[in-house]
Order: sequence, then structure tokens, then C-alpha cells
Amino acid sequence: MEKNLAGDSIPRPKWRKVAYGGMQIGYDDNYTDESFLEEMVMNANVVRRDLLKVMKDSVSISQYLCIVALVVLVWVHTLESSLDENSLLLLDLSLLASGFLILLLTEEKMLSLSLLLRYLLNISFFTTGLYILAPIYQTLTRSISSDSIWAVTVSLLLLHLFLHDYSGSTIRAPGALKTPNLTSCISVNASIVASVFVASRLPSRLHVFAVMLFSLQVFLFAPLVTYCIKKFNFGLHLLFSFGLMGLTLYSIYALHRLFFLVFLLLVLLVNVVCPYWLIRMQEYKFEINGPWDEAKLCFDITD
Amino acid sequence: MAEPPKLRVLMVSDFFFPNFGGVENHIYYLSQCLLKLGHKVVVMTHAYGNRSGVRYMTGGLKVYYVPWRPFVMQTTFPTVYGTLPIVRTILRREKITVVHGHQAFSTLCHEALMHARTMGYKVVFTDHSLYGFADVGSIHMNKVLQFSLADIDQAICVSHTSKENTVLRSGLSPAKVFMIPNAVDTAMFKPASVRPSTDIITIVVISRLVYRKGADLLVEVIPEVCRLYANVRFVVGGDGPKHVRLEEMREKHSLQDRVEMLGAVPHSRVRSVLVTGHIFLNSSLTEAFCIAILEAASCGLLTVSTRVGGVPEVLPDDMVVLAEPDPDDMVRAIEKAISILPSINPEEMHNRMKKLYSWQDVAKRTEIVYDRALKCSNRSLLERLSRFLSCGAWAGKLFCMVMILDYLLWQLLQLLQPDEDIEEAPDIRLGYHRGEGLKEEDKVRNV
Repeated sequence: MEKNLAGDSIPRPKWRKVAYGGMQIGYDDNYTDESFLEEMVMNANVVRRDLLKVMKDSVSISQYLCIVALVVLVWVHTLESSLDENSLLLLDLSLLASGFLILLLTEEKMLSLSLLLRYLLNISFFTTGLYILAPIYQTLTRSISSDSIWAVTVSLLLLHLFLHDYSGSTIRAPGALKTPNLTSCISVNASIVASVFVASRLPSRLHVFAVMLFSLQVFLFAPLVTYCIKKFNFGLHLLFSFGLMGLTLYSIYALHRLFFLVFLLLVLLVNVVCPYWLIRMQEYKFEINGPWDEAKLCFDITD
Repeated sequence: MAEPPKLRVLMVSDFFFPNFGGVENHIYYLSQCLLKLGHKVVVMTHAYGNRSGVRYMTGGLKVYYVPWRPFVMQTTFPTVYGTLPIVRTILRREKITVVHGHQAFSTLCHEALMHARTMGYKVVFTDHSLYGFADVGSIHMNKVLQFSLADIDQAICVSHTSKENTVLRSGLSPAKVFMIPNAVDTAMFKPASVRPSTDIITIVVISRLVYRKGADLLVEVIPEVCRLYANVRFVVGGDGPKHVRLEEMREKHSLQDRVEMLGAVPHSRVRSVLVTGHIFLNSSLTEAFCIAILEAASCGLLTVSTRVGGVPEVLPDDMVVLAEPDPDDMVRAIEKAISILPSINPEEMHNRMKKLYSWQDVAKRTEIVYDRALKCSNRSLLERLSRFLSCGAWAGKLFCMVMILDYLLWQLLQLLQPDEDIEEAPDIRLGYHRGEGLKEEDKVRNV
């Protein structure tokens, strides 16, 4: 049979990307066309990160670490009786007042008087409840040995730090980023239980009340306050964080040299080493999308 | 006299009769057609409840219901080496030459393929589903698939999109992957002798009511269509977790007389539900190949479907109206379908489907794949191990250790029970007439 230059006597029909009609004439079933993987999209949703921005964002994490470290310092000083209950109560009140002030100053829209009154009412309920329950906390762990208490407290605090929601507020405030999810609820609970354990080791009822009020204030409201500062002015947020870091490092240095070194290394790790590591790993990112992906519904499912 | 079978195939999967589904149907129909072509087919699956041991199905199809309990979603508990003795016994007893595994989600399939490779048999794998790449489950699944397919002879996918997906997930060379689609039993899915009147247009939906199959899209689309057209009614067959949402939708829009919920429809009654309708609606969010659409087209229904996965490849453009998985676009597609409905002739559509898809064609193409697999060279243990090493820095070495241990266990088994001691089963060929369609009653067996 006469063969033309192409080598085939009958030109075979064009290959079509269809499944019907049986085997396509002139093509094997394992024929791979040039259009194979044509519709694959790589790294479509990947965010390209910049080292300086990541380092600035990591300041929030080290800021929270400093806050927790300061809380632990206050606990240690109270347990060693170098901080008496009156100064602790003064600390509580000043923290409450400054927190409120920051909220008022950084709020974008006008806080109505009724809202303010409602906040004050909630705070007073909270404080009264704590005062009434203080005797219970005092005798809670009397039968448990101190070693177990310290071990549990440390592990709970580590759990709290691990599961904490660093991107938003744990309390749904007006204008907060998102509703709390499971891990952030677990972290808040862990911190509260840790505070209860520490408070139960204290000698008098007033001690217990003061320490509980202090711990709960910080763990429950510090995320909200820091979020408001960050939203208001990023430069102020950075200043505040560095101030906190300085204060923490100074206080730990006064307490114990080794812990100071460990904490300093931790802060450096979080702020410098981890961002660099993240940027380095970005090159390995390989996200594949294509017609085989499950379709995403564009509307919300309301049950 | 009957000559000895040309090929001796073992089909392995967790999914087989008495379960009903795409994979189960595929294995059954493919086995029946291969039997008719003169080959020997044996199926291996796990025990279903009391159904354990050896059973025979139509045409002499021997099924081994291996007494392993399923643990989650009908898959056997993975013990890696636990199935080695039984797989070896079945392979020797039936004198198998090719092992054909089905479905990436089936642990029994992966284990059997691994043992078959260790013992030197030729291995083929068919993938029936699409998987993603991003979530934890998919990443794990893809690594297991990479292990399984590192040493395979040939692979089969049911659509071109599925081929692309499998090649990306497993790192196989595209030349090793064959595209052989599913088919439909056109003798069972015939249009109604009298077409239902088009005064009232009936839209049929038959699917499991789960998120993956787009039940949420249905909840948005049905009220809108009922509002736009007064003469349209819906028939919804199937059951699932989203059943409640559909009932709520019926209540909210007072569509009780226009939307009929049938509940779970057994496979034998699917045809009788389909022939009451004019249009078939498929709203799934992901499909490698949608057999439901084929069944509907074979019954003479016009299909409206979401453009996902392998669906655009399944039917010619004049038999299906495609839409994006978005309620507005789907409503527009249904409007278009209603407008072209008068030009649809169910008998003509059915006759076209007979030419476009048939299980006999699938079996012939699969035979070609088996022949290719048998021509592949035998590889020694060392050559095979080098293929596993390329799977990953840590994974490659782990896979090599797994295969070495499998090889050693096999040698131990050969010492304890030599190959000669395994009794070979005689080939029993049941007579059958050529040209008969696969009857629906054949598939129903009383346990």
C-alpha cells in the first residue's frame, strides 16, 4: 500500500478526551496526549511571605509568652511570700483599670454608657463570685502533694501555650476575628485550672482571691486587650511588646540566671529562627489543583 | 472440547456483592464478560456477615469470601502480612496468572497485590475514585498508593481525569496507565414502552443523600425550579444524612405534592424509578466516572449534571447538559434541558447508548491490558527493591523493609507448606448461551 511521508496510509482521526465510543481508532488505551495535565494548576493559593513581615507577626507570639511568664513570676513571688496580699489586690485593680482604659481609648466607635455599665456589672458579678468561692479553692488540693501540683500546673501551662489561638481573641468581642474553636477553648480551660491549682497552695483566703482574680484577669482579658492595641496602631503594639519583653527579662534575671537564659533563647527562637526557617521551607511548597478536585460550595450551609 | 482458559484472573477488592455500588458492579460485570470470552475469573473479597467461604455465582464465577472482618467503611483491618497465607493458597489452588486489584481505598486489595508481587505474579490495578492532595487522609492514602503502584505491571483508570489524578498521586509513568471506562448493562436499563406524558415534566434524582453527592445543591435548586415552572415535579430516591435537610426544604416551601421522597431504592428497582422521569439530575461535587448518568441515558432520560471530575467525558454533548456546581447555573441548565426536551427520543438515545458503551468492549480492552502485563519481564527481588527506594527518603527504606519481610515470610511458608502440597482446584465450566444479556435475577442470591 502506498505510504505517504508521514508513514500512515490513512490519517488517524484526532484523539478526543472522551470515554464513550470504545477504543479510539489508531490510539492505544494508554495513549498520552500533549494535553495531558494541561488543566493542572500549581501553587495557586500559596501566599508568598516576606521575612520582615513574618518577624513582625511573630512578635505577637513572644508578647503572649512574656505575659504568661509574668503571671508565673507573680505566682512564684506570692508563693514565696515576697508579695503580700494587699499589693496583689492593688495590682489587680490597677490592671483592671488600665485594661478598661485601653479598651476605651482604642475603641473605634463610641462606647455607649449602657454598654459600659453592662461591662462594669459583669466585672462586679465575676469578682463577687470569686470572693465567695475563694474558701473552696483554698482547701481544694490539701490532700494532694506539692510535687503533683507543680507537675500538673506546668503541663497545663504548656498545653495552654501550645493550643492558644495567637491570631485572634479567645473572647468574642465586638469586631473580633472569629468565633473560638475547640483548641482555644481547651487552652483557656487549661490556664484556668492551672491558676486554681496554684491558688490552692496559698495560706489565706484573701491571698487565694487576689491570685485567682489576677490570673483570671490576665488569661481571659489579655488576649482581648492586646488585640485591641494591635488593631489600633501596629507601632504601639510593637512598642508595648518590646516593653513587656524587657520587663519580663529583667524580672526573670532577678529571680534565676538559668531561666533568664532559657527564656532569652526561646524569644530569639520564636522571633528570629522560626521565621527564617519558614521562609526557607516555602520553596518546597507544591500545591496541586485541577479538574479532579472536589467542588467547593459557594454558599453557606445553614442548618 | 473446551480448551483450557487462556487467562486466569483473580479479582481482589473489599467491595463486592452483596454490597451494591459502582466498584461492585464493575467487578461483577467485567468478570462475567471475561468468563464469556473464555477466561477463568475468581473473585476474592472479605466475608459479609455470615456469608463466608466459597460461593459460586452466575456463569461459574467463584467467589472467595475470606473470613476477615471489615472494620471501617467495608474495608478489612490492615494487618500487612496476615493475608499472605490465604492469598498464597488461593493463587496456587486456582493456578492464577494475573491478579487484578480494585479501588485504592481497599486494604485487602493492596495487601493482595503486595503478596502477589512477592510471589512473582503479574499484577494490574484499577482505580475507581478521585482523591485530593491536601488533607491528612488523602496524604496517607496517596503514600500507600505510591507503595502499591511502585512495582505494578499495568494500571487502569476509568476516565482521563482519573488517569491524570492517579499519575499525579502515585508517580506512575503515564504510559503504564490505560483508560478503560465503566459501562452500563443496556439490556437491563431500557426506556419505558410508553413514554410518560410531557405535560408534567418529571425530574429524577437518585443518589445517596450525602455532602459529596451534592445534596446541599439540591436543597437550593429544587425550590427555585419549582417556582419558575408550574408543571415540573421532582422524584428523589436515596437516603442519607442530608435527608433531613431535604424534608425541611419540602416543609418550608410547601412542596409536598411536587417533590416525592422515595427513600432508599434497591438496585433492582432503579430502572422502574428512572422510566417515570424525563430528566435526570446529578449534583455530585466529585465523580471519577458517573455510572448513574449512563443508566439514566440508557433509559432515555436527558441528563443535567455538574461539571466535575470525569463527568464531561462520559456522554456526548447532545445527551447531557453540564453546569457549574452553583445553584444559579444549575437552574439555567435545567431550563435549557426543559427547552430541548421535546427533541429527545428515548428509544434513539437507548440505541445510541448500546453502541457507545458495552461491558463486552470493556472486557476486550481489559484483556489487552492483561496480555501487556503478562509480557512484562520478571523482576528479581533486588530490582524491585530499587523501585521502592525512589518513593521517598524515609518511606522508601520503610517500604523496602516491608517487602523484604514479606519475601522472608513467603519463603518460610514455602518451607512449612510446600507448593506441591496445595491442592489444585479443577476448572468447572458451566454452560451458557452466547448473546444472552445479564439478567437481573442472576445477581440476587438468597444467603
